[in-house]
Amino acid sequence: MTHTETPRSSGGDVRLRGISKTYGSFTAVHPLDLTVPAGSFFALLGASGCGKTTTLRMIAGLEEPTTGTVELSGRDVTVLPPYKRQVNTVFQNYALFPHLDIYENVAFGLRRRGIKSVKKQVEEMLDLVQLGPMARRRPQQLSGGQQQRVAVARALINHPEVLLLDEPLGALDLKLRRQMQLELKRIQTEVGITFVHVTHDQEEAMTMADTVAVMNGGRVEQLGAPAELYENPATTFVANFLGTSNLIQAEVVEAGGEELLLRAGDAKLRLPARRCSAPARSGDKVLAGVRPEKVSLAHADAAGTLAEGRNRLPGRIKDASFIGVSTQYVVDVPGLGELAVYEQNIERDGRLVPGAEIVLHWNPAHTFALDADQDIDAGADLDEEAA
Amino acid sequence: MDHHEQPAPLVPPAPLSAVELTAMRRSLTDGRLAVTRRSLLRAGGALAAVAGGAAALSACGIAPAGRTDAALTVDHSAAEKRIHFSSWTQYMDVSDDGKHHPTLDAFRRRTGITVDYTEDINDNDEFFGKVQAQLANGQDTGRDLIVLTDWMCARMISLGWIQPLDRSQLPHASANLAAQYRNPSWDPGRKHSYVWQGIPAIIAYNKRATGGRTVDSVGQLLEDPQLAGRVGFLSEMRDTIGLTLLDMGKRPEDATADDFDAALARLQKAVDRKQIRRFTGNDYTSDLEKGDLAACVAWAGDVVQLQSDNPAIGYAVPKAGYMTSTDNLMVPGKARHKENAERLIDYFYEPAVAARLAAFINYACPVDGVRGELAKIDKELAENPLILPDQEMIARSHSFRALTPQENRAFNQKFSDLTGA
Amino acid sequence: MTTTETPAPPERPDTADSLEIRTTPVRKRLIPYWLLLPGILWLIVFFAAPLVYQASTSLQTGSLEEGFKVTWHVATYWDALAEYWPQFVRSVAYAAVATVLCLALGYPLAYLIAFKAGRWRNVVMILVIAPFFTSFLIRTLAWKTILADGGPVVGALNHLHVLDVTSALGITEGHRVLATPLAVVCGLTYNFLPFMVLPLYTSLERIDPRLHEAAGDLYARPATTFRRVTFPLSMPGVVAGTLLTFIPAAGDYINAELLGSTDQKMIGNVIQSQFLRVLDYPTAAALSFILMAAILAMVTLYIRKSGTEDLV
Repeated sequence: MTHTETPRSSGGDVRLRGISKTYGSFTAVHPLDLTVPAGSFFALLGASGCGKTTTLRMIAGLEEPTTGTVELSGRDVTVLPPYKRQVNTVFQNYALFPHLDIYENVAFGLRRRGIKSVKKQVEEMLDLVQLGPMARRRPQQLSGGQQQRVAVARALINHPEVLLLDEPLGALDLKLRRQMQLELKRIQTEVGITFVHVTHDQEEAMTMADTVAVMNGGRVEQLGAPAELYENPATTFVANFLGTSNLIQAEVVEAGGEELLLRAGDAKLRLPARRCSAPARSGDKVLAGVRPEKVSLAHADAAGTLAEGRNRLPGRIKDASFIGVSTQYVVDVPGLGELAVYEQNIERDGRLVPGAEIVLHWNPAHTFALDADQDIDAGADLDEEAA
Repeated sequence: MDHHEQPAPLVPPAPLSAVELTAMRRSLTDGRLAVTRRSLLRAGGALAAVAGGAAALSACGIAPAGRTDAALTVDHSAAEKRIHFSSWTQYMDVSDDGKHHPTLDAFRRRTGITVDYTEDINDNDEFFGKVQAQLANGQDTGRDLIVLTDWMCARMISLGWIQPLDRSQLPHASANLAAQYRNPSWDPGRKHSYVWQGIPAIIAYNKRATGGRTVDSVGQLLEDPQLAGRVGFLSEMRDTIGLTLLDMGKRPEDATADDFDAALARLQKAVDRKQIRRFTGNDYTSDLEKGDLAACVAWAGDVVQLQSDNPAIGYAVPKAGYMTSTDNLMVPGKARHKENAERLIDYFYEPAVAARLAAFINYACPVDGVRGELAKIDKELAENPLILPDQEMIARSHSFRALTPQENRAFNQKFSDLTGA
Repeated sequence: MTTTETPAPPERPDTADSLEIRTTPVRKRLIPYWLLLPGILWLIVFFAAPLVYQASTSLQTGSLEEGFKVTWHVATYWDALAEYWPQFVRSVAYAAVATVLCLALGYPLAYLIAFKAGRWRNVVMILVIAPFFTSFLIRTLAWKTILADGGPVVGALNHLHVLDVTSALGITEGHRVLATPLAVVCGLTYNFLPFMVLPLYTSLERIDPRLHEAAGDLYARPATTFRRVTFPLSMPGVVAGTLLTFIPAAGDYINAELLGSTDQKMIGNVIQSQFLRVLDYPTAAALSFILMAAILAMVTLYIRKSGTEDLV
């Protein structure tokens, strides 16, 4: 190791090729190709048991892949034990050494690599995570948030090519979690190390990560920037797991052009053809989707005043809950079931109360369509369960 | 038995034989091997027992062992047809199902007296500690009949804690007690005690371990270089010192302190030369059986049982004489059923009953006229001089003289030093 | 913060409220003591009282026949120590060696059970405890068979000339193991091994396996992980195990009695013989006290040294 004042190491990239893990007859991770670009903040998002932690552990070397290879910065490390990989992990519940004080916990990795004078680096690192005065305390004397920061410091001080974070915020309360999200993001930006972050919290993933891979049942369902995933979910799982989606059974009436025309119940819906992830020919079944916040409500009496060219569905308000910034409505659409609508509380129409006949309408450009051969409810409740 | 030249491989680590188990069970509990968990407890317990409760604690001292006025004891024998009999384990005949004592059952049928037989004596010293406080305070121990080894009997009789026996109640006993036991120095005329069993201490050896040679004198045990490191002596002081004295031409019946020291010095020399491997309690039986001990001082009762299992075991009665100690029946002070106890003592001196007992426990029978009865049960046993000693055997038998408390303490201290503790 | 809403409550000692505040805690505070009472009584009756009695016995003189009286004869202690110091030294030495052997054997065993045994854990655990199902004495006697002069163990050791070396070192005698220091130490080691394994296992088993992963993740090789993480974290078990082994081993007399010879007698044998044979209760009591004090001193020093107070 060099003692020179090297600039903060920039991260390395991670390449997983055909990597899989099976335990007996159970497949935790199906063969998977994944590339995490150097210096990025990458999130593996999914419900518990989806294989995200196993994937992380295979990168760390804590699990041996059943098939496939792991490359770090272009070097195949598949057979290397953890202690030979330039990778460090922030463990779930931190796994701090209870018999060592904070200082020694942070210095652990440096000492193992034979670095004698660790004082300066440890102090710097403790300052970075704002724990300087705590150096001589034992981990169990610290709060959860402080322990979390020690865990980060203990890993970061080694300037790994990749920092792996396994549900690092899971044990913290909501407020602290928010704070730490920003903190971690700040640190990542500052040190430039590649972060691979495992979480079940879609909000956390979207807030922090540049790229999110949504995992389900041992597979990556979709990978992309958070907004991309949100706006263009490729599967019902992604559509439901990331935020809320209204999914409607529909049939393709007209295809071939820039736009698709669908029939849902008695209504006609249009959407841009490129936003349909399923092959769509006339007569095919698809699931049409729209996010609740894209939908507007108009009282049935005002239906005539709506602009042309918007998708419309008639319905009746079943339930309305006021939550401050918005009002969330549940609307019963005959033949299609219940749809959710989030209305900004800007100009509230006093007639929009439960029982009122209304018309739902939205810009066709906000409509997406998915293959109908999927479980329409996939991923719908997992977020809450896991959280 | 094969006649190979080379000694057969000495006992492989096999499961313990019945004899060993028996011996062991006894050794776990026998006073002759004062190594028991209980004796450890006793080490603590004795203090508490001796204390006689918190009162003595504050008094901070141990009261002298006082005399009990045994004459004041009221006998309830006529009204209460029972007797509490405390003895050692493996010291009574047992029915095949292990639940009954046939001789005691027969006694009940004949006399109507129920015997509560308890095997609660594990160690002379331990038992002494247990009853000491009660007897010293003139209280009933709840026992009508106890069995203790002669030196402990001597101590308890001299302390006045034992009721004298009524000779008129003991026709068989007074008639049939073997002559060699009739007049011990510690209980002249057997006023307080009758022999339960005789315990001859002789020499036993393992022919495979000695290469077929016999070992027949204490001198050989102490000096034969071929036995070096494979000789055992008993941790029972009177047996070991007594046999050594006899080998030196001294009589244990009237040995002086100088004689004692001389015998001790002779033994010490053998210890220093590593001739003697260990001083043992009953656990010598397994050592002898395996051949770890080639020869040792042994108790005759064990030898009879060992021989029946292992033909390689031989024994010798030293020409210079051997020691016979005894376990004796006594009625402790304040016992409620002295007369019943006397009837039971007398019952065991009926030759037929004595023969049954002897056939079962294999110790030296102290009752005359048993041979015919024993032959009816087992001819071979009846001819065994270790069970029914012949005249020559009797002539060579010796016993240790009664020691004063001071001597007892001093001799034991020296003997303990000899054995390393 | 506004202060208008919360005027300081006036002192009202006569209200039921304040009465309750005062009385309930008192009653509550007493509850733990009531719960402790049986334990305290037990300690008084079976520990403190015998201890006091033993102390008094050690300061008495007399004989069984004349009785013993407290004469503050402190010299008993010096005499006992002067007479029996070799047995004291021997006891400590044997117990120390046996403890070290127990640790050397017990640690890998406990480690395997805690981390490697998997579903066999309970089976192995039962095997470790199994000897306890028979009596101490029988277990010790079994070693007489294992180490018998003509047995395979001694045969093999002789064949390999191991006993020539050990005899030269004075821990065996000629071509045998029984009735030598080695046999006694073997017996002690065997008999007290479970006392070492159980606390070790308990403290190893409590170690979060992720700490091992974390150490590996932080560049510690397996050996380093053991030295820097596993072993330090198992220190409470090591300390408890060594104490539970050393203390009873130092006071043991059965192994020396059955597996040793005259030159292997330990202080327990002396105490036993003073109590039972010689009937010199003061000397026996004094020896017990010296043993107790010596062990207490060593244990205190050891715990201080090992610095595990805050981990225990």
